[in-house]
Amino acid sequence: MERERMVEELSKIVGKENVLSSETDLFLYGYDASLFKAKPDCILFPGSTEEVSQIVKFCHREHIPVIARGSGTNLSGGTIPTRGGIILHFSRMNKILEIDIENQRAVVEPGLFTLALKNQLARYGFVYQPDPASEKVSTFGGNFAENSGGPHCLKYGVTTNHILGAEVVLPDGEVIQVGGKALDNPGYDLTGLLVGSEGTLGIATQLTLRIMPKSEAVKTMLAIYNSLEDAGRTVSAIIADGIVPATLEILDKLTIKAVEESVHAGFPLDAEAVLLIEIDGLKDGMERLAERIMEICRKNNAREVKSAKTEAERTQLWAGRKGAFGALSRLRPNYLVCDGTVPRTKLPEVLVQVMEVSKKYGLTIANVFHAGDGNLHPLILFDERDEEELRKVHLAGSEIMKLCADAGGTISGEHGIGTEKMKEMFFIFSPQDIAAMRKVKKAFDPEDICNPGKILPEVQA
Amino acid sequence: MKTEQLKTLFYDEVAKCNHCGFCLAHCPVYTVTGREWATPRGKNVLVKAIIEGKIDWTPEIEETLFRCTGCKLCTQTCFPAVETNQAVLAGRECLVDRKQYPKVVDRVVEALETHFNISNEPNANRTLWMEKLEDIPDHRFQKEKARVIYFVGCVAAFYPMAHKIPQTFVQILHKADVDFTILGGEEWCCGFPLIQAGMKEKMQKLVEHNQEKVKEIGAETVVFACPSCFHTWKEKYQTNAELLHSTQFIERLIGEGKITFQNGADRAVTYHDPCDLGRNSKVFDAPRNILKRIPGLNLVELEGNRQLSVCCGGGGDLEMIDPALSAAIAQRKIEEIQRTGAGEVVTSCQQCIRTISGYARKHKIKLKVRDITEVVLEAMGSPL
Ligand SMILES: Cc1cc2nc3c(=O)[nH]c(=O)nc-3n(C[C@H](O)[C@H](O)[C@H](O)COP(=O)(O)OP(=O)(O)OC[C@H]3O[C@@H](n4cnc5c(N)ncnc54)[C@H](O)[C@@H]3O)c2cc1C
Ligand code: SF4
Ligand code: SF4
Repeated sequence: MERERMVEELSKIVGKENVLSSETDLFLYGYDASLFKAKPDCILFPGSTEEVSQIVKFCHREHIPVIARGSGTNLSGGTIPTRGGIILHFSRMNKILEIDIENQRAVVEPGLFTLALKNQLARYGFVYQPDPASEKVSTFGGNFAENSGGPHCLKYGVTTNHILGAEVVLPDGEVIQVGGKALDNPGYDLTGLLVGSEGTLGIATQLTLRIMPKSEAVKTMLAIYNSLEDAGRTVSAIIADGIVPATLEILDKLTIKAVEESVHAGFPLDAEAVLLIEIDGLKDGMERLAERIMEICRKNNAREVKSAKTEAERTQLWAGRKGAFGALSRLRPNYLVCDGTVPRTKLPEVLVQVMEVSKKYGLTIANVFHAGDGNLHPLILFDERDEEELRKVHLAGSEIMKLCADAGGTISGEHGIGTEKMKEMFFIFSPQDIAAMRKVKKAFDPEDICNPGKILPEVQA
Repeated sequence: MKTEQLKTLFYDEVAKCNHCGFCLAHCPVYTVTGREWATPRGKNVLVKAIIEGKIDWTPEIEETLFRCTGCKLCTQTCFPAVETNQAVLAGRECLVDRKQYPKVVDRVVEALETHFNISNEPNANRTLWMEKLEDIPDHRFQKEKARVIYFVGCVAAFYPMAHKIPQTFVQILHKADVDFTILGGEEWCCGFPLIQAGMKEKMQKLVEHNQEKVKEIGAETVVFACPSCFHTWKEKYQTNAELLHSTQFIERLIGEGKITFQNGADRAVTYHDPCDLGRNSKVFDAPRNILKRIPGLNLVELEGNRQLSVCCGGGGDLEMIDPALSAAIAQRKIEEIQRTGAGEVVTSCQQCIRTISGYARKHKIKLKVRDITEVVLEAMGSPL
C-alpha cells in the first residue's frame, strides 16, 4: 500500500497529530538498544484500546506488519521492523488505572514506566517485585513481552509470575481478556503463553499486576573473593543448604573496576569477584540466617564478608549493581549482552570457558550476573564502527550461547530472542520443537502480521 | 560549522551513545511529547547519521535540534555521560551555516546587533526598573569605580515580570553596604542567546565590550542574579574578576554579618534548582544555606532536586522557539511543585520565574513563585 494512503487512513483512527512518517522519523524508529536496524513505514501513537484494535484490524486487512514499542530498551532487536510496517509507540497510554491494595493488585496501561508504578506503590508500603536494571524507563508492555527479570526474581520469580491478567488485541484486531485479578483461572493459561511472546501473538493494552506488601526487614551482604570460581561455588552451596535469598549477584574484576570508577559502590579493586547477597522477610530469625550465609561464604574461600549497616550503605551497594552495565559502557562505545542461563552448578566451568572465548577473539568481556538463577550476562565490549571487531563480536556471542546450551542451559534468561538470537534457537530446540511453537503462532496470527520475523527461525523441510 | 567539522569534533562523542534509552526517563522534552525525536538518544543518533551521511539535514532534524532546553539532565543521568547538548548546539551551528533555522532567531540577532539587548529597545532603557524604587542614592547605582559589578542581564532589565529581581537585589547590596555598581546602558547582552542559536561566533563583540567594562571600573567581583549570564561568563569570558552568582554573594554577606534576618513567618517553601545554576554551574548549597537561615521557613525538597532537578521549560531559547512546548514542560514542573504540598516555590533565576509564574497565571493556578532575592530582602526587614 502506498504510504500516503496508509497515513491518510490511519490518521482517521488516531488523529493526524498522532502519526509520523517523515524520513527522519522512520530513521528514529529503526533502532532499539540492540545492534539491529530497519525502517518502518509509519509510526502511530494510539490513545486507547479501541484505537489499537482499529489499527490492527486495518493492518490485518491490508497485510501490513504491526510492531508494538515501549521505550525501545530491549537488547534483542524486538522492536526492529525487519519487514517494515507500522510501529505502535505506547507513550500516550501510560497511566496507572487502579491500585487495589486490599486485593494486592494494580492495573496499568502498557506505556507506563515500571519504576513509575513502584514509586506510587511505595506510598502504600507496597512493591511490584520484578526489578530489571532498566526499570526506570522500561515499560510494562516491554516487561510483559520480554518476560523481564532482575536480581530479586531469584526469590519472587520473573515478570510472568506477577502479571495475572491482560487485555490483549489479537492479530485480527479482536480484543480479548486473559486471566484477571483472581489467582487461578480455568481454561488454557493464555496469560502464561502471551507473557514473553515478544509482541508476536498480540498487543497488550492493559495489564493486571500482582503487588505485595514491602518486606518487614532486609539485610544486604557483600562477600569478596580472590577467585571468580569460588564466588560461583558459594552460590550453589547457599542454595544447596536450602536457603532462598532474595538476590545472589556476582560482579567480576573488570566490572568492579568500571563500577568503582563511576558510582563508587565500595567494592575492593583488587578482588577477582564480589557476591551481593540480599535476604528479606520477617525480622525474626534474620540475623541467624545472615550468619549462616556468611559462614557458607567463608567456607568457600571468601576473603571477607560484610553487611550493610545502614540504608545508605545498602543503597550504595545496589547502585553498584544497577549501574554495572552502564559503568561498563563507559569503557567502549558499544556492548553486546549474552543473556545465557546455565544450571547453577555449571556456573564456575562455563565462566572459565567464556574467558577462553574472550582470549580467542581478543575481545574484552565483563561478567555481571544473576548467579542465583544461573543467568549469565557476559558483556562483550566493542566499537560498532569497527566492522572487523563487530564481526568477531557476533561470532563470540554465538559461541557463548552455544556454551550455555551445551552445559544444559538456555540462550535467554530475560532479554528475549527477537531478531538477535533466532539462529541460536537451534542450540536448544529441535526442528520439531520449533514447529510446535510455529503452530501456536499460526493459530494466533495466521497472516503473520504481529511483529513478524522474530523468535522463530525458518525450519528447513 | 560545516558537517566535516562536526565529524572531527563530535563523532566520538555521539558514538558513545549505546541506545540504552535510560535518558527517556529524564528528558523533559520527551516527557511531554512522548516522541523518539525528542529523546537525547534520538538527537545523538541523528547527529551520528548526519556525520555518516546516512541522512540529510531534513526539516525535522532542524525541528529536533532546536527543541532542547540545554538542561543537561540527560548527561547527568547517562552512564557514558554523552554530551548530548553539546552535539545539539554544534548541530545548530551547522544548520545556521546552511541558513536553516527558526526565523524568530533573526529577530533576536538583529536586536543584539543594533541595541545589544534581546528586547530591541534602546539600551538606555536597561534601567527602567529603577523608576519604581523610592529614595535611591543620587548615583542611581551607577558609579565610575566600584569593587563589585552587578550584571543585571537582559531578561531582568527588560521584562516587567522580572523587574523585581534587580529591584530587590540592589536594595540588598545597598543595605549590606556593598561598594557596587551596575553598568546601566553600558551593559551588553552576555551572548548566551547566540550560543543557543548556534551563532556563537557573533558573540565576540559583546564579550569584549563587557570584559572591557570590568577593567574600566576596576571591579574585583562580578555578581549575577541570572544563572545563564553567570554560566556564560564562566565558560566564555576571560577576566581576572571573581564571578559569583547572587546566592553565593548573599551567602558570603551573611557570613560576614552584613546581612541578618529579622522577619519570617512559619511556612513551607520548596526550592527549584535552575539548570544553569545547579547542574551546569554546580551551585547547590548557597541557596539552601540562605533559606535555612530565614526564620520560620521550612524547606521541602522537590522530587528532582540538586543534580536531578528538572528544567522549568524555559532553558535554551525554547520559550522563544516553541512556546507551547515550553509551557507543557512548565506544567509538569508546577505539578511536581504541588506534590510537595508547599504553596510557594523559590528559585534563583528570572527565566524560571517567567516560565513557571507565566504558566500559573495563565491557568489561574494558585502558587507563589519568588526569586530568592525577594525572600531575602523581605526577611531582612525594613525596605530601603
Ligand atoms: C542497560 C540495560 C539494562 C537492562 N537490564 C535488564 C534486566 O536487568 N532485566 C531484563 O529483563 N531486561 C533488561 N534490559 C532489557 C529491556 O530493558 C527489557 O526487555 C524491557 O522490558 C523492555 O522494555 P521496553 O519498554 O523498552 O520495551 P521495548 O524495547 O520497546 O519492546 C520490547 C518488546 O516488547 C514488545 N512490546 C512492547 N510493548 C508491547 C505491548 N504493549 N504489547 C505487546 N508487545 C509489546 C515489543 O514489540 C518488543 O518485542 C536491559 C536493557 C538495557 C538497555
Ligand atoms: S544518551 Fe546516554 S542514556 Fe541516552 S540512550 Fe544514549 S547512552 Fe543511553
Ligand atoms: S539537555 Fe535537557 S532537553 Fe536537551 S536533550 Fe538533554 S535532557 Fe533533553
